[in-house]
Amino acid sequence: MNQMTKSAVDVDPITLQVIRGAFETIAEEMGHVLYRMSFSSIIRESQDLGAGLFDLNFNTLCESESTPMHIGSIPAYLRGIGETLEDGTWHEGDVVVHNHPYYGSSHTPDLAVVVPVFLDGRLIGFAGNTAHHVDIGAATPGLIIDVPDVFAEGMLFAGTKLYRKGEPNTAIWNYIRRNSRAAQQLVADIEAQVASARLGARRFVELIGKYGEETVFAAANQLMDYAERMMRQKIAAIPDGEYSAEGWLDDDGRNRDRRLKVKVTVRVAGDGLEVDLTGSADQTPTAYNVPFEGSTKVAAYAAFRKILLDTATSESRVPSNEGSFRPITVTAPLGSIYNPRFPASAEARFTQCNRMIDLIIRALAPVLPETIIAGSSASISFAAYSGVRPSGDYWVFLEVNEGAYGGRPRSDGPDSIDNLMANTRNNPLEDLAMHIPMICERYELRDDMPPGAGEFRGGIGVVKAQRMLAPGFITHESERHTDAPWGIFGGTEGAVGRCTIHNGDGAARDMPSKFSGLAVAADDVMTYYSPNGGGYGDPLKRPPRKVLDDVLDGFCSVDRAREVYGVIVDPEAETVDMAATEAARKALAPH
Amino acid sequence: MARIGVDVGGTNTDLVLESPAGIFYHKVPTTLKNQSIGVVDGVLAICARAGLNPTEVETIVHGTTTATNITIEHNGSDCGMLTTEGFRDILHIGRHKRPTNFSLHFDVPWQSQPLVKRRNRIAIRERIAAPSGEVAVALDEAAVRAACALFRKRGIKSIVIGFMFSFLNEAHEQRAKEIVLEEIPDAYITLSSEVAKVIREYERFSTAAMNSYVGPKTAFYLRDLEARLQGAGIHSKLRIMQSNGGVSTVDACARRPIHILMSGPAGGVIGGASEGSMAGTPNLITVDIGGTSADISTIPGGAVKVMNPRDTFVSGHPVLAPMIDMVTIGAGGGSVAFIDEAGGFQVGPRSAGSEPGPACYGRGGTEPTVTDAQIVLGRLDPDMALGGDLRLDAELSRRAVEEKIAKPLGLTVTKAALGIIRIINNNMALAIRSNSVARGIDPRDFSIMPFGGAGPLHGVALAEAVNARDVIVPVAPGITAAVGLLKSDLRYEHTDAVILELTGADQAAIERINAIAAHLRERVRDELNADGIERARQKIELVAECRYAGQGFELRAEMPDTLTLQNKAGVVQSFHDRHHLDYGYSYPQAEVELITLRAIGSAAVRRMEVPKIAATDGSSPDRALLFVRKTTFDDGRTLETPRYDRTKLFAGDKVQGPAILVQHDSTTLVPPGYVAEVLDYGNTRIRALGA
Repeated sequence: MNQMTKSAVDVDPITLQVIRGAFETIAEEMGHVLYRMSFSSIIRESQDLGAGLFDLNFNTLCESESTPMHIGSIPAYLRGIGETLEDGTWHEGDVVVHNHPYYGSSHTPDLAVVVPVFLDGRLIGFAGNTAHHVDIGAATPGLIIDVPDVFAEGMLFAGTKLYRKGEPNTAIWNYIRRNSRAAQQLVADIEAQVASARLGARRFVELIGKYGEETVFAAANQLMDYAERMMRQKIAAIPDGEYSAEGWLDDDGRNRDRRLKVKVTVRVAGDGLEVDLTGSADQTPTAYNVPFEGSTKVAAYAAFRKILLDTATSESRVPSNEGSFRPITVTAPLGSIYNPRFPASAEARFTQCNRMIDLIIRALAPVLPETIIAGSSASISFAAYSGVRPSGDYWVFLEVNEGAYGGRPRSDGPDSIDNLMANTRNNPLEDLAMHIPMICERYELRDDMPPGAGEFRGGIGVVKAQRMLAPGFITHESERHTDAPWGIFGGTEGAVGRCTIHNGDGAARDMPSKFSGLAVAADDVMTYYSPNGGGYGDPLKRPPRKVLDDVLDGFCSVDRAREVYGVIVDPEAETVDMAATEAARKALAPH
Repeated sequence: MARIGVDVGGTNTDLVLESPAGIFYHKVPTTLKNQSIGVVDGVLAICARAGLNPTEVETIVHGTTTATNITIEHNGSDCGMLTTEGFRDILHIGRHKRPTNFSLHFDVPWQSQPLVKRRNRIAIRERIAAPSGEVAVALDEAAVRAACALFRKRGIKSIVIGFMFSFLNEAHEQRAKEIVLEEIPDAYITLSSEVAKVIREYERFSTAAMNSYVGPKTAFYLRDLEARLQGAGIHSKLRIMQSNGGVSTVDACARRPIHILMSGPAGGVIGGASEGSMAGTPNLITVDIGGTSADISTIPGGAVKVMNPRDTFVSGHPVLAPMIDMVTIGAGGGSVAFIDEAGGFQVGPRSAGSEPGPACYGRGGTEPTVTDAQIVLGRLDPDMALGGDLRLDAELSRRAVEEKIAKPLGLTVTKAALGIIRIINNNMALAIRSNSVARGIDPRDFSIMPFGGAGPLHGVALAEAVNARDVIVPVAPGITAAVGLLKSDLRYEHTDAVILELTGADQAAIERINAIAAHLRERVRDELNADGIERARQKIELVAECRYAGQGFELRAEMPDTLTLQNKAGVVQSFHDRHHLDYGYSYPQAEVELITLRAIGSAAVRRMEVPKIAATDGSSPDRALLFVRKTTFDDGRTLETPRYDRTKLFAGDKVQGPAILVQHDSTTLVPPGYVAEVLDYGNTRIRALGA
């Protein structure tokens, strides 16, 4: 019988919590094994991965709390595998690798490894994970932007078996080994993915052995209903209506003079809603497009988990499964940047996703003023540094740089932290210097531009400068050089991002936010400045004590304190002149 | 000659005294403002109780939460930091990962509660080259002096010195320290290369900053305690429990308080481990259940495990200090049960604490807690709590469970109470799994050891949930941590970064490793010597923390006393084995890289000896019978259940469930189908009938 038949068994609330906990432990264990074992820093340090268990209808039963972009993305991979599976059928002992963006992948470097779960010879579900790999043999090392089509993205796998009935498919392993600039890392990390997926499958069978198949799947269904109920309750509390916001992306990485519009419309009706991206730019001729199934939808779902089921303000956590996605539909016209048509490339998709979430937040500001936050950096800096060692081997290093949040209704926007859809860890600079011909010159908070002012100020981005010690290549995927994070309810806008390259004492040249395969010389230094967040609320309401703290900590100049906040600071005495401040604030207040 | 163990908890300060006259237990209220007041009072009181002159106390071993509390209450020292130009904000940026994925309103502890404020982090021009470790840019000494002038102006005396790549060459940190001492002679200084000479700048700086943050206050506390004890005529040696389960001196802990951030729970694990050996059961999972949280630790073969340094965090800050491997979860007697907005049945992690406390305390709490559920089920007798010292109101418990859980879910009160227990037990069972099964340990070979006053109520259910072999209940579950203090050894650790390929290491590399190992051994030996431990009693173990070249996480490999080209393969193989055990997979062809060498020095001190109790004379255990009441068990049956006074049972007595064993501060549940056998020391083994 199909396990999805509803309410075959009604699992009592206690057993339900017990099975939920078991599911979560399995997913965490799968993720843990994967990142602890892996070799490339993008997995082991940044934890750019996801792992979980799935039923035969590709519903997520549980998923690790790793990186949000991966969470909720695997079902689309499974649907794609369903359409393309080698041999057309699953056997016990099979292991599949899959990354085709037109068959559900999030983007090509995120390889999924999936293991079928069998019980007494019968297929009952899947255990799988996704992880971002350093290099899959694309047109340029590590990352791509300015490429003609999806075939420039490197190896495309669709339902490809790494193991068939437990036996390794040596031809495919050899093929992989021959087609990557970082083959050793790629192969070892795929092996780590296999170990993690097999572990998940084993735990899944153990769980069923303990509670019975019917109960486990019935509990999974009830947990999805529960998550759905949580989301619907929150949506129902938003007044019905249509809410829109717009913003601009810098360019597509090739056509520098053409900004790309992002338009988000949220239609709330009862306890469901639609995210409509109609009005956003047409698809681009470069890799700057978003796979619809594996990324656009996933980002929209994540947006509402952040806004409506905020773990910091809710007493209970929503389980990581499909349930919370059900009340949300996502629309993006085919042929647009959020739903490109084959064979457009769609590898560089992160900043668009982050921007969509930022604009959903902005659209809802009028109706959720105490829930939303001001504009965040809502970009990412994804840099691929590479070169060829004297030995002839390639080295490739992927770096994710953080952003900053917008001011919030009750607190300042966090500084220097991964933003919205991103949540990776940085790579220790000392670890880097020991292993690759690159040295970090500077990694600090940005002090060239202030964050958005407000009762709660925006967060402060970082500045990071990396010096190449030998000639090599850099590809950089970033955003927000032209459209600064927005302030709200009286808060002022933040600061745009910036990227420069200089050599020695030479002048710095400004770089566009995206560039591909740029050849760089020894001692070239790339410096990245991430955008600062926008402010929330009236700056004149910010307590003078906090303005003083910002001045002393170098986040705000004495002049800016006076001009924007109306706070008169004596930097020598490290005090606020309260009388003068009162007068200054009176003068600044609108009459 | 007498010794005293003093464990300071959130509510009570527990003491145990061992003397030729016997073993004595005592509790006094914890004095929260300054723990030393309660400690001194308690020491005097337990001496009086034992009829002992305080001057006869030879050693006091102390478990303290002073350093931990500073991190929880955020009231450490205002610190200044000297760091490398260009890297002023490493402590503010951290690893740039949010604590939570799905949130807009999350807190970032290292930014909202910084260990060193940005204004006091001063960037100094200097540079050590990597990977060579050579000086690339000389230290700007004038800048160091200028920073000191600013610190003087701001009244800052606790100083952190953390330079990039100091794990390769500490010369600049050392020189900066000399200058600071010239400028601020009474400064409390922490060098990152002294507290954690390892790669990864954020973790190393954070460790150093934490040391300076808690240092001055902790040092003051320890010295104040020493002075108060002296003042009270107690001239004994004072030893402090460290997070790694070993004890250390007041001097060492005052200099390196990061080593006592987990002092409190460590005593419990050590106490549990020694109870395991008393029961002849080396494979243990200890579960220390308190009011708000449970600490769980897996002890295979009697050996307490130490956490991977990548996993050691305190109040959201990474701290690279050896800590016993344990997981702490928000599950305890005070954990609150509630129905969430979408109808989910939740228990904890929120706790009712001691104010208002569980509903049965009658202090205004209306939400049901785990303790209330135990009362509803008749597992805790409201008139017997703390030997009758604490009066509980069963009706308030029943009402809370009924109103908040039973009615909304349409369950009977009993079913609702059973649900609360089942969910909290499941939460603990999952944490046990994460600390055992998830790391390749099979719980079927392990015994559950529950302690803390309420621990033994959960023991059998936890053993069932994780398929553990049986349950061992310690002699005095409510005071196991204090007893543990008198059973721990001296223990010192030192590390050094040695980054090189091990698989292909040549003679020169091996000599370098051996030279560093010898130096580490010497440092450990110096500390043991300073404690007056004769050479023959000193034990020094060497550990190689390795990874496959290119990985990010180290695992421990065994290291011979002297490494040679011949025995090198054994170290490599032990790493492969460890990797396979932990992750279920290894890469036999991959290069193994050594990252950190660690020397662990220990010296056994005399362990407290718990006397055996009388063996049974064959008479019925009914001699210990108190009364019979109704009790509901996990299978839903409510049975007439006898209560036995645990102190009146003899070794060899067997009590069949259903039964409850009662002692002053603890209650043990023996469900139907189980039998409790009293062991030699009054400890108890509970196992399934027929098992």
